[in-house]
Amino acid sequence: MNTLVPAIGFGIVTASILAVAGVGFTLQFGVTNILNLAYGDIMTAAAFVAYLVTGAGFSVWLALAAGAAFGSVFSILLNRFLYTPFVRRGTRLFGIIIVTIAVSLILQNSLLAVFGASFFSLQMPRPASVHIAGMVFTTVQLAIIGIAIVAMLLIHLLLRYTKLGKAMRATATDPELARNCGIATDRVIDLAWAISGALCGLAGVILVMNVTSFTDTTGAQFLIPIIAVAVLGGIGQPYGAMLGALVIGIASELAAAVISPDYKNVVAFVILVIVLLARPQGILSEIATRKEVAA
Amino acid sequence: MSVAWQFYISTVLVYLGVDVMACWGLNLQFGVAGLVNFAFIIFQAAGAYTAAVLTLGPATKGGFQQYLGGAHWPFPLPILAAGVVGGLLAVLVGSFAIRRLRRDYEAMVMLVVSLIATSIATNQVGLVNGPNGLALVPKPLATMVNLSPIGYQWLFVGITALICLCVYWLVHIVTSSPLGRTLRAIRDNEQAAAALGKNVTGLRMLAFVLGGVIAGVSGAILVEFISAWSPGSWLYPETFVYFTAVIVGGSGNNLGVMVGALLVPVAFLEATRFVPQFGPPGFIDALQWIIVGVLALVFLWFWPRGVIPERRRRFPPTTQSEARQPLTSTRTGR
Repeated sequence: MNTLVPAIGFGIVTASILAVAGVGFTLQFGVTNILNLAYGDIMTAAAFVAYLVTGAGFSVWLALAAGAAFGSVFSILLNRFLYTPFVRRGTRLFGIIIVTIAVSLILQNSLLAVFGASFFSLQMPRPASVHIAGMVFTTVQLAIIGIAIVAMLLIHLLLRYTKLGKAMRATATDPELARNCGIATDRVIDLAWAISGALCGLAGVILVMNVTSFTDTTGAQFLIPIIAVAVLGGIGQPYGAMLGALVIGIASELAAAVISPDYKNVVAFVILVIVLLARPQGILSEIATRKEVAA
Repeated sequence: MSVAWQFYISTVLVYLGVDVMACWGLNLQFGVAGLVNFAFIIFQAAGAYTAAVLTLGPATKGGFQQYLGGAHWPFPLPILAAGVVGGLLAVLVGSFAIRRLRRDYEAMVMLVVSLIATSIATNQVGLVNGPNGLALVPKPLATMVNLSPIGYQWLFVGITALICLCVYWLVHIVTSSPLGRTLRAIRDNEQAAAALGKNVTGLRMLAFVLGGVIAGVSGAILVEFISAWSPGSWLYPETFVYFTAVIVGGSGNNLGVMVGALLVPVAFLEATRFVPQFGPPGFIDALQWIIVGVLALVFLWFWPRGVIPERRRRFPPTTQSEARQPLTSTRTGR
């Protein structure tokens, strides 16, 4: 018992990071229909932006904003100048996947070439510990949970109560029908890249806030639980991803506490396999059965 | 030719043979059947590991390396076993990854398989000796034939060439048979193939397993040649080199893919051996990966069908009315 309760605490922190990253990943896929395997590396790049900002003596809050802004701008540019031209040129579905993984490698190795093969950490004031119901959090971890809750609330308000959110959901369900209804789908797609890019950048920074050190492959490694979250939630389903993040975050930290920390990602992987075998459309599936999964 | 050059050239030839085989295997999966197998390198690694432990002999307690199994099998058996293991692993991975899902789902799952396999291999020391991997794998036939080191090198080149021929024969009969035609049809239009009563999932699985077998064999030859194996040399970016080779050479065309293997993993990565090192350690490697990535993008943009494109297959019209619209089975657009 005394190892399980703190593990749930860690699980909530991991779930918070996963929720931000997973919602961004799944939103982007749902609206734009491009599986962006460079997502993890954009997270790493945002973490390096934050590293530079804190290294220059600015606060972590500014680093968070800078990371999110970088993710957003980079994603828009990537889509505008690389992915969309390839799609327009008629590159087929698996051609686009190769394009995104090429971008992933280029980005990861550019970071390696610029920053070198070494371990990095953000400069932050030493956090204090807070005890809540048997769980121990650092103030940084509490901030991460807070950031995730605010981000998820904003996404919820955006999707449910704004015209843009409605247009996004419509584009995700059926882009052609949405266009015929007078929705400027190109603009909606641009905005989807901007929003998911911001979430990606934010996730990259909070991911490295929570660990002692990071390298050029940190984001790429984090792609395992992100993909598990996205598939568990039903790909293209932001609410599913939120739920998936909670399940995988807590399950993987419990496994880390009970078995061994090496099993964190293995748990995410096992959940992924079970979902693929039993319910490939994900736990929350409104449109997934028809559109996303059917081959 | 000096002995040093002979050594170098024979080594490069063995690498070329391994890469060509691997590219044929990947081409069967990706070029012919449209399977985006980002975990390809894992099947190669599994085959290599199998061949290594079956040559090393039983692991001794307290020895400097731990591994599963272990036997002293005579020469061709470890390589055959590697093929079997590659195929079995493909059955296992395919059982959850190859279902009637979107192709990008599949690619994503394969990438996760590749990442997770590396992390398990590195963390579970008892399984494959952790990050250190295996070393001192005895060379096949080395004790039986009495050859100078350089003579042995050329013998190995011969063995590799022979196995290459067998693999070519396999991929050739698959791609030129009705089976190959069905696989291409599934790649180009899955719904249509299913509507014609083809077992889409089963046939894709078959291509996946055959590719896995070839990957296993190619890995086995590599490990028997270099006598060492470690998880760190089988990371997912290595798969991308093969993908780039297949795309550059001409995906779907066995001959093109061979040229691709000659151009990308061999010519391109070997050439950097002669470039003077500059910058901090790891800088040249990073640049290499960046250039491979850019190469893939450039080819997908300008020559998406590769140096030697897949042949457009035309079938003779059977009736008068069909004569005006010849049927083609290959992709028409880019």
